[in-house]
Amino acid sequence: MMEKVLVVNVEKCTGCRVCELACSAFHYKEFSPSRSRVSVISWEERGIDVPALCNQCEDAPCIKACPTGALYRVEGEILVRLDYERCIGCRACMYACPFGGIGWDPVERKVIKCDLCGGDPQCAKYCPTGAIEYVMANRAAVLKRRRASESLARYMKEVTGGR
Amino acid sequence: MFSYMGYAGKMLRVDLTTKKIWIQPLRKDLARNYIGGTGMASRILWEEVKADIDPLGPENRLIVVTGPVTGTIWHTAGRAALVAKSPLTGIWGESHFGGFFGPELKFSGYDAIIIQGRSERPVYLCIYDGKPEIKKADHLWGKNTYETADMIREELDDREVKIAAIGQAGENLVKFANVMTGFHNFAGRTGMGAVMGSKKLKAIAVRGFGSVKVADMDKLLDLAYDARERILKCDQAMELRNYGTPMLVGAKQAIGELPTKNHYTGIFGEYEEIDGPTIRRRYWAGTKACFSCFLACKKNNVVRAGEFEGTFTAGPEYEGVYAFGSNLMISNMPAILRMNYLSNAYGMDVISLGVVMGFLAELFENKIIDEKETGGFKLEWGDYRTAVEAVEMVAFRRGIGDLMAEGVREMAKRIGRGSEKYAMHVKGLEISGQDGRTHRSAGLTHATAARGADHMRSLVTVDQLGYRDVAAKRFGEDKVERVCNGYSEDFKALAVKMHEDAYAIRDSLIVCWYSVGWPPVFWMDDFAKILVAVTGEEEFGDVRELFKIGERINNVKRAFNVRHGITRKDDVLPDRFTKEPMPDGPGRGQVVNLDRMLDEYYELRGWDRNGIPGKDKLLELDLADVEEEISRIR
Repeated sequence: MMEKVLVVNVEKCTGCRVCELACSAFHYKEFSPSRSRVSVISWEERGIDVPALCNQCEDAPCIKACPTGALYRVEGEILVRLDYERCIGCRACMYACPFGGIGWDPVERKVIKCDLCGGDPQCAKYCPTGAIEYVMANRAAVLKRRRASESLARYMKEVTGGR
Repeated sequence: MFSYMGYAGKMLRVDLTTKKIWIQPLRKDLARNYIGGTGMASRILWEEVKADIDPLGPENRLIVVTGPVTGTIWHTAGRAALVAKSPLTGIWGESHFGGFFGPELKFSGYDAIIIQGRSERPVYLCIYDGKPEIKKADHLWGKNTYETADMIREELDDREVKIAAIGQAGENLVKFANVMTGFHNFAGRTGMGAVMGSKKLKAIAVRGFGSVKVADMDKLLDLAYDARERILKCDQAMELRNYGTPMLVGAKQAIGELPTKNHYTGIFGEYEEIDGPTIRRRYWAGTKACFSCFLACKKNNVVRAGEFEGTFTAGPEYEGVYAFGSNLMISNMPAILRMNYLSNAYGMDVISLGVVMGFLAELFENKIIDEKETGGFKLEWGDYRTAVEAVEMVAFRRGIGDLMAEGVREMAKRIGRGSEKYAMHVKGLEISGQDGRTHRSAGLTHATAARGADHMRSLVTVDQLGYRDVAAKRFGEDKVERVCNGYSEDFKALAVKMHEDAYAIRDSLIVCWYSVGWPPVFWMDDFAKILVAVTGEEEFGDVRELFKIGERINNVKRAFNVRHGITRKDDVLPDRFTKEPMPDGPGRGQVVNLDRMLDEYYELRGWDRNGIPGKDKLLELDLADVEEEISRIR
């Protein structure tokens, strides 16, 4: 199950925040965007929405920053795991992450991060536009290129009038 | 803990005169008998706002209300409604908005806010992390809606604060001033912005960190996933995602019902300049969704070159395109985008504003007024530059704009000289972009809806836009042909009543018009399932019970209007729809036979021939106290 990653297609995000609701519903059995591990950052007036989530980095700054070894990776897995037994809630991982992938649960007062919902990420499942997709890691790059090329092709068609 | 899940269980009561704020527990009877949303608000307004209360006075209530479904993952659960006595019509006023405000209020721990009194100085209500506070807003007074939102977010140092604000129009008590939330969403109709302005309430800012809990999470997640699938498989829903509501422009033109020249006709020769595909191709700059919506019908548009270059606006919706476009015979889309942007920024209802302008243009055409009376201002059909200027004149009540800001009914009253004939309104609310001559049920809707010439509370779409199969399910195979004949009065009373009661439930959950009203994807059986999963109250699972609650809500709204003198004499249409045959297009020669539909509608409703709810009906709906007051009027 762990060879898949979440891929974000920013241009498809409509800012509906269904991902946040699906995430908090799965983890806490309630709807609470402030407890979601994925957050949509919106610039409404400019029409930009960006889902911010954990990228499960290969060389993960959060793992390096963690003083207690609470963040770790099992050899051969994509997922960066979080062990609450070891976590002291110092937030070092939050500061180290360049993507804002680590959140803070205001209720239980501890850091939270994406755990891929144990293999069936709810954000990708409920996203209505494909802005968050769950794909094989080795295909992710190709997929992103295809998406980018699609946008480019549309743009080319627009400027050339389809010729 | 409140008896039912889904609700926050608390209401916030704010008195702006005394600056007192207190928390009231949500009454169980309100939830059980009215569910939430405008259902619940109808009962509160009935109880607290009597006939002698001035809509712009301190005693009027402004009720900001959510429903049990608000803030959940079910499709379009991002809505909230504003309810008050309307300063535009003097009767029942309500207006809804999507966006993110409603859920944020629920996450703050409140189902509703009831605002009363009037502040001396401008203020805004701030609810941060559940803690309510009245803050000074002198520095915000005079700012437009977008500036206001920006300044509040800056001041609270939190970009995630959700704001409902008025612009200058609301401050200046323009009778159809609206309330903005976010960039795209407006509670447009019936002048809720003027009510806020009268209370010197510039904005409400909300930021909550709590949650919404439901009775059966797994069930609700399944229902939400099912809703997602049904939306993604619905062609029209996907078209709506692509074009937004302006896709209706072409559809309405095709059936001869694109209101043109102040509703004179339904055919606009230059419609292709303002239809969905054109807007998408030339001006589109992004697709946006409200909270928890699989549809994403909101569009950003930008004017990239030419006269109005740089205009960046949310929308317009179909209603804005019709009101500023075909209605004024304007085909200059950049000008329409400009007018839409300005209306959003100053905070005005685009429908009422467009109809006000159309009224004025027709008065000039018929030489009922001239420039001497308007201080040199003259609006003619298609004159887009003057129309753009007029938006600002109305917002700031400058020149003739001061009169325009009162709405067409009051304009006609003051101008006189037979101008009423051209005033397109019912009960003081300007007519939306439908026409009873080509769509009979829309005529009955305009005449009977609680807030006036309305297109959201009982508009039937399955009889018109090619939904024979859906119509057959709702009305039966034996009636479907006649129901779906837009040029016939047959069964239109039945259709309007049924939809009005169903939509009352929709507006109590609260979920969106889009994908319930149109395209008709979800219906009462869906509401029944969601309500049980969210609240845990099994009785909501019975569709008959829901229809009864819907009927109760509509009777309370009607009783509120009857309290204000509304009877059959007010359930009318402008002569244009009943006496002037449609001049061209597929509906050529058609007029509305309203009386016949009214008789049937009252009978189905259990109201007397004068349109007053009957004793038996009110008692059947457990409204004995309402009956007591109505019996004195009857």
